Amino acid sequence: MSQSYDRGLIEDFGRWREFTAGMWAWVFHKFTGWVLIGYLFTHIAVLSTSMQGAKTFNSTIQGLESLALVRLLEVGLLAVAVFHILNGIRLLFVDLGVGLESQDKSFYASLVLTGIIVVASVPTFVSGAF
Amino acid sequence: MAQRYSSFSSGSTAWLLQRITAAFLVIVLAFHFFQLHFVTHAYEIEFAGSQARMENVGYFVTMVLFLVTATFHGVNGVYNALVNQGIDGIQKRVVQIVLGAAALLLVVQGIRVANTLAGF
Amino acid sequence: MSTQTPDTDSENEQPSSTSPQERRMAEKQARKEQREADEAAAANEIQGETVELKVFRYDPEIEGKEEPRFDSFTVPFEKGMTVLDALIYARDEYDSSLTFRHSCRQAVCGSDAFFVNGSQRLGCQTQIADLDGPVRVEPLPHQDVVKDLVVEMDHFYDQMESVDPFFDPDETPDDELEEQRQDRENREKVKLSTRCIWCGACMSSCNIAAGDNKYLGPAAINKAYRFYMDEREGENKRQERLEIIEAEHGVWRCQTQFSCTNVCPKDIPLTDHIQELKREAVKQNLKFW
Repeated sequence: MSQSYDRGLIEDFGRWREFTAGMWAWVFHKFTGWVLIGYLFTHIAVLSTSMQGAKTFNSTIQGLESLALVRLLEVGLLAVAVFHILNGIRLLFVDLGVGLESQDKSFYASLVLTGIIVVASVPTFVSGAF
Repeated sequence: MAQRYSSFSSGSTAWLLQRITAAFLVIVLAFHFFQLHFVTHAYEIEFAGSQARMENVGYFVTMVLFLVTATFHGVNGVYNALVNQGIDGIQKRVVQIVLGAAALLLVVQGIRVANTLAGF
Repeated sequence: MSTQTPDTDSENEQPSSTSPQERRMAEKQARKEQREADEAAAANEIQGETVELKVFRYDPEIEGKEEPRFDSFTVPFEKGMTVLDALIYARDEYDSSLTFRHSCRQAVCGSDAFFVNGSQRLGCQTQIADLDGPVRVEPLPHQDVVKDLVVEMDHFYDQMESVDPFFDPDETPDDELEEQRQDRENREKVKLSTRCIWCGACMSSCNIAAGDNKYLGPAAINKAYRFYMDEREGENKRQERLEIIEAEHGVWRCQTQFSCTNVCPKDIPLTDHIQELKREAVKQNLKFW
């Protein structure tokens, strides 16, 4: 009986088909969180060019904004931020003990709403880049 | 017999702060996106425009608060994610020091940038 | 001893033919083959609906079974059949070495929690008819497997013990036999939390408990809730309980994934209880400032 078998993590990503709504919400929230904190560091780094004068700042920002790739990444950032905000509101309600029985529906709602907001924002975000 | 856990490091303050900063960030992050992608388009951003916004004390204070709360929320979130993975002992100490230093660096540099843009 | 002499004689008389022992072995082998063929035929000829079980097998003590594998069993389906019924059939009819815990068969003892088709469920409470076939039965994830579907429960029990899962009032009545009554409202408050049957399904489903071995886990926190919310215990014990609940690896580790609440076979709102304790801890700490 001394021997036993450790199967490691079973509910890892290999089992993603079996994840429930709450689990997906957590996975997305964590992923978008990592992206946002990562972006915050690069954001401050880019804005730091302002310390070398207005000229450097302007050319850096406009140089970046003229790249189509940057524009697309910005749309991605918007999607990430909007989801994190909406699911964050959902989580605040969960923390307050409100509506826990419909936590799966509120997750789907935040997904759909994120999709709508992002699609509606695409023209504004990419205008002039293509 | 099961081990007893120390109540010495209570997580309630960090937990509460994470929620309070969340509530603040929901509003300010949405405002920030709206301000710098819809009111002013991202490609229109220039030093002069940023300076005009930052000279408003209310805006300046909001942005600095935004920076501080976002840093706390983000770094604390990363720390929690690592604790949930079961880091412990020396590993945990190292993570605390590294994340603390990164947060401090970010806030200091962010405030310097804010001061530059505001022309202080 | 006396029979030995004729035996030696007969062996000498027929040196070319097989010994009686060899003959018996051959007959036995033939019978075994016949029986196995019959069984296989019976399995093929099961009348009516059948259900296919794919069961996780592992036995560190038997050579050739140390490597985990899945065995398939075809079991005749009956109306109202549960996963546990099917497992019992497979064990009784096909392979007596198939090992799993079970006792009351009515979702009270909490010993037959398995990982069925990707979700933690009680074998005795899960209708085969509700599942898509083949039904895949595995031992509870995130616990070491002892044999087949039997997992090591020690860690789960340790976590349960660590929250003092028993009524422990500050003061006991003078008369030993006097009742310590709970008012109706308070009873209603803890009612759902008392349903726990210690099956370990929630702990097994929890992604955080899987990563952080010190995390109390949903069942233990629910137990802590059951007694923390009990108004009869008194301030001292309440404070003691709060300290366990709000320790670093207590309620704060919960990430509200709702996995535990989804799998609980007794429908205990585990996440609600954990969240309530978080708010309670915050409130109590604000008061101390």
